[in-house]
Amino acid sequence: MTKRSPTGLGGYQKLGTHAVLIMLCLPFIMPLVWMVSTSLKSDSQIYVKEGEAAVAFSVKNLVPSPVKWDNYPAALKTVPFAVYLRNTLFLCALTVIGAVASSAIVAYGFARMRFAGRDALFYVMLATMALPAAVTMVPTFALFRWLGWYGTFLPMIVPSFCGSAFYIFLLRQFFGTIPEELSEAARIDGASEWRIFVQVMLPLAKPALATCALFQFLGTWNDFFGPLIYINDPSKYTLAYGLQQFLSNYGSMWAQLMAGACIFTIPIIVLFFFAQKTFIQGIATTGTKG
Amino acid sequence: MAASKRKGGGLRGAIRRNWLGYAFISPWLIGFLAFTVGPFLASVFLSFTRYDVISTPVWVGAANYKQLFAGDPIFWKSLAVTFKYAMVAIPVGIVTGVALALLLNMDIKGISVYRTMFYVPSIVPVVATSVVFIWILNPNGGLVNSILLRFGVMGPNWLQDKAWALWSLIFMSLWGVGGSMIIYLAGLKDIPAQLYEAAMIDGASAWQRVRHVTLPMLTPVIFFNLVMGTIGAFQYFTQAYVMTAGGPEDSTMFYSLYLFNRAWRYLDMGYASAMAWILFVVIMIFTGIIMKSQRKWVHYGN
Amino acid sequence: METDRLATLKKIASIVAGVLVIAGIVAIFALPRPQQRHYPKRIQVRFWHMWTAEWARKVSDICDEFNKSQDKYEVIPLSVPSGAADSKFLLAVAGGDPPDVMAQWNPVIPYWADSKLLQPLDQMMTPKQWKEFQDTAYPAAKKIGIYKGRLYGVTTGTNVWAVFYLPKHVRAAGLDPNKFPGTLEGLMEWGKKLNKFDKNGNLVRIGFLPSWLMEFAPIFGGRFYDPKTGELTLYTRENLRALEFLVDERNKIGYAKVVRFESGLRNASSGQGDWPFMGGFYSMTIDGVWRVEELRKYNAGVRRDNAELRRNHGDPRNLKSEVEYGTAPVPPPTGGTKNAGYADGNFLIIPRGAKHVEGAWEFIKFWSGIENPRRAAEFYTWGGWLPLNTAVANAPAYKEYIRKNPQFKTFLDLVSSKDLLTCPPVPYQAFLIDQINRADDFATRGSLTPRQALETLEKDIVNERARRKELGYND
Repeated sequence: MTKRSPTGLGGYQKLGTHAVLIMLCLPFIMPLVWMVSTSLKSDSQIYVKEGEAAVAFSVKNLVPSPVKWDNYPAALKTVPFAVYLRNTLFLCALTVIGAVASSAIVAYGFARMRFAGRDALFYVMLATMALPAAVTMVPTFALFRWLGWYGTFLPMIVPSFCGSAFYIFLLRQFFGTIPEELSEAARIDGASEWRIFVQVMLPLAKPALATCALFQFLGTWNDFFGPLIYINDPSKYTLAYGLQQFLSNYGSMWAQLMAGACIFTIPIIVLFFFAQKTFIQGIATTGTKG
Repeated sequence: MAASKRKGGGLRGAIRRNWLGYAFISPWLIGFLAFTVGPFLASVFLSFTRYDVISTPVWVGAANYKQLFAGDPIFWKSLAVTFKYAMVAIPVGIVTGVALALLLNMDIKGISVYRTMFYVPSIVPVVATSVVFIWILNPNGGLVNSILLRFGVMGPNWLQDKAWALWSLIFMSLWGVGGSMIIYLAGLKDIPAQLYEAAMIDGASAWQRVRHVTLPMLTPVIFFNLVMGTIGAFQYFTQAYVMTAGGPEDSTMFYSLYLFNRAWRYLDMGYASAMAWILFVVIMIFTGIIMKSQRKWVHYGN
Repeated sequence: METDRLATLKKIASIVAGVLVIAGIVAIFALPRPQQRHYPKRIQVRFWHMWTAEWARKVSDICDEFNKSQDKYEVIPLSVPSGAADSKFLLAVAGGDPPDVMAQWNPVIPYWADSKLLQPLDQMMTPKQWKEFQDTAYPAAKKIGIYKGRLYGVTTGTNVWAVFYLPKHVRAAGLDPNKFPGTLEGLMEWGKKLNKFDKNGNLVRIGFLPSWLMEFAPIFGGRFYDPKTGELTLYTRENLRALEFLVDERNKIGYAKVVRFESGLRNASSGQGDWPFMGGFYSMTIDGVWRVEELRKYNAGVRRDNAELRRNHGDPRNLKSEVEYGTAPVPPPTGGTKNAGYADGNFLIIPRGAKHVEGAWEFIKFWSGIENPRRAAEFYTWGGWLPLNTAVANAPAYKEYIRKNPQFKTFLDLVSSKDLLTCPPVPYQAFLIDQINRADDFATRGSLTPRQALETLEKDIVNERARRKELGYND
């Protein structure tokens, strides 16, 4: 069964659409373009020549000359990239699994189960997102210290296994769009709630689950504050920390910073591009859908 | 498991349903009780104390709250700035997100490339997007003013002009639309094709299909982004912290930024806790209103 | 519909990619954990600082030198980027696990000292050392580090500000760069001659635009704090004169034009990797001592790049020029104070509850030069830092650095001035600085007159002090 998009398009319309899309997305990719361009310049190239307009927004300024490829190896040498990468991957893997799995389970409870205080608890859960973290930092830190988790990765890993309000909310919305009949049918067939959850709901919510995985991955990938606060051993720090190493109040290493930022970012972009199909193209569905 | 599990079934069934429900939400419940409740209650307590992180907190009663409401002009200014931001950024964010998702839902070649490009700003480190943004909005040759100049208009000083700085930040928040766009895209794919076909059989045009099929089916996701957008907008902090530090002339002094300064720069943690709980109440009021309105416009299931 | 061949190709490609990724991940995880300690048997002294980038490397080098120079302690540096440093430090102290020594540059000593967060360092010295410290350390360093008569921080790099100017522009305007003006009025005359406008009357280059009240108030003889009475002196005649001066100079050029030109560049140093002065957008500007080191690196980089370009027979139009610049102290107006200005700096502190206080103190003495100024002078030159005391300044290594970087001498001369003012030593320092800068902002943007700005400043501080009093603070 072919999935038809809600708007079918003819030939000229297609060309026009491409034009519109290109125009629209140019501002969005500009950070990346600028990053790549700066990463290939030398620090003195980044400073404009006297007499030039300070920010001549010209293509000429974007093209580095000479092209300094060695900013990249230099950036990799400035910080222990491999170590940070390892720590980051480790944290990402654990938090993604933890967050997605636990949030899906909890979301199913809020979406599909009826129990006393369900709506109230859901509201409470939303409320937990409404308090700025700046003020809970101290008690939270004290708590983790009391638990003996200071100096370990645990403060970043364990809470992700307890579901995250953001993903729970999101998945609950998605579960809510799945018709009751499917669950009913399974229930009549004698399946337990857990089986319904795993065999009926999860497959249908794959796009949403993948979205949560992506967001959690990005969140952990970019988290610089968490490891920094709880860990004193720099061999346990992450890539985000490594990137901060290039910034300084007294003259950042711009070229290497951008090289580092590109190394930090481009794999994700590539990953996203290829993984899109998982959560956006969707899958052939069963039952009353498609 | 028992061969026949029927819905309903009196007290026994109710208890079993309850138990099962709690079992499912237990991961969150445990985490909530273990990691969240303590710090939350602690910060309530702290808001009634004077506390500088190092010494023990000293009880001062409602002094922090009184001082906030009666004698702190920056408090009110930051509330106003945050409100202004929220009132504009939230609806604009939703409309752009949905529109973008609809646009990128099409089945044309290379659509995945475009999607990736729209999502790039959410992946790129904040330092790069901040710099590019400052560059674009540079009054003397940045992209925006260069274009305006072609039309004979002298663009303002954007981030350094107290009338425009806030709008510049609102404009910048649009770059983060990729995140909500993805969520909408996931939601769009969940809409059964049959509904579209039925609509087309009925002779509906593209726009009518969007209005009567797509949007209603998308409402659960829109609802999500509306609530999250509200919670996020009121706590908006990072860009102001990195780019403007509240200037020029307090025009971008967001509530969370002032709160952060009070908490970690001036070490008035008690005062900041009071600020946090006031914000909490404000957010919950708005969220509550949105939740109550669910029934009127959100369609679940069918 | 895809052909089967394409489908199989895709499958193979994804399998290969998957294998590569897995191999990569395995390789990374198989890496050995880097050895953090080189001298595991020694007492570990934990040192946290906020430097990053190349500065962090220099700091590590200094730590290595210390470790090599003795065999009892090992200093282990940790770079904590400034966004998170204060919270990490405070949380660690509050949590009972502070580092042994920390480098700070924010105005924290009064507040942290009052909150019993810091160890007094004078008690670590012999009476002779303490007297020597008070006699030979520069006034600014003492003002930063001493609070209520006790030493809490040893300054290893005072920051002072002076005028940077481009002789090329000066000569082109018919002025003599060797006869730098001795009065502020003279400097403004130069500035006027150096302003450049385009045919629409917009600014293309600013000759000299003074800004920053905290720097100019001392130059006009003003101050924000009276050490004799211990009172704040915010709305004074001299402070008002200074602020009016800043506002008037803006208006002379044309307030709107200035804002327009300036705002395009003001964000530069914090965002674009550019200091407008280097691009010649300011002929003269006021900036801090660390720019000397920055310019030295930049010029060295330009020489390298040009050499590479020539070697590769590149386009000669891409040759960059080094920045030729001079420095001079900000000249006072008539009736003002010579060699005055604002100063802050980075200093080393020892938190209360540190486990290895002796080791920390040894390290502080080593770096700052309290014990061996000749050797410590080298460290100062590595970072282009201003010395703590005269002994370091007179050491051969330091003199050599000045010889090689003559522009640095201006700053060295300045740092010995007793008229450099630091941030008033009150517990609510951070709030005070923010409010002074806000008043500065409002006045120079024209929303408030200088009088109104200073009045508001006073009122805000009075309110804040009342608030703190109500909460039970005694300051």
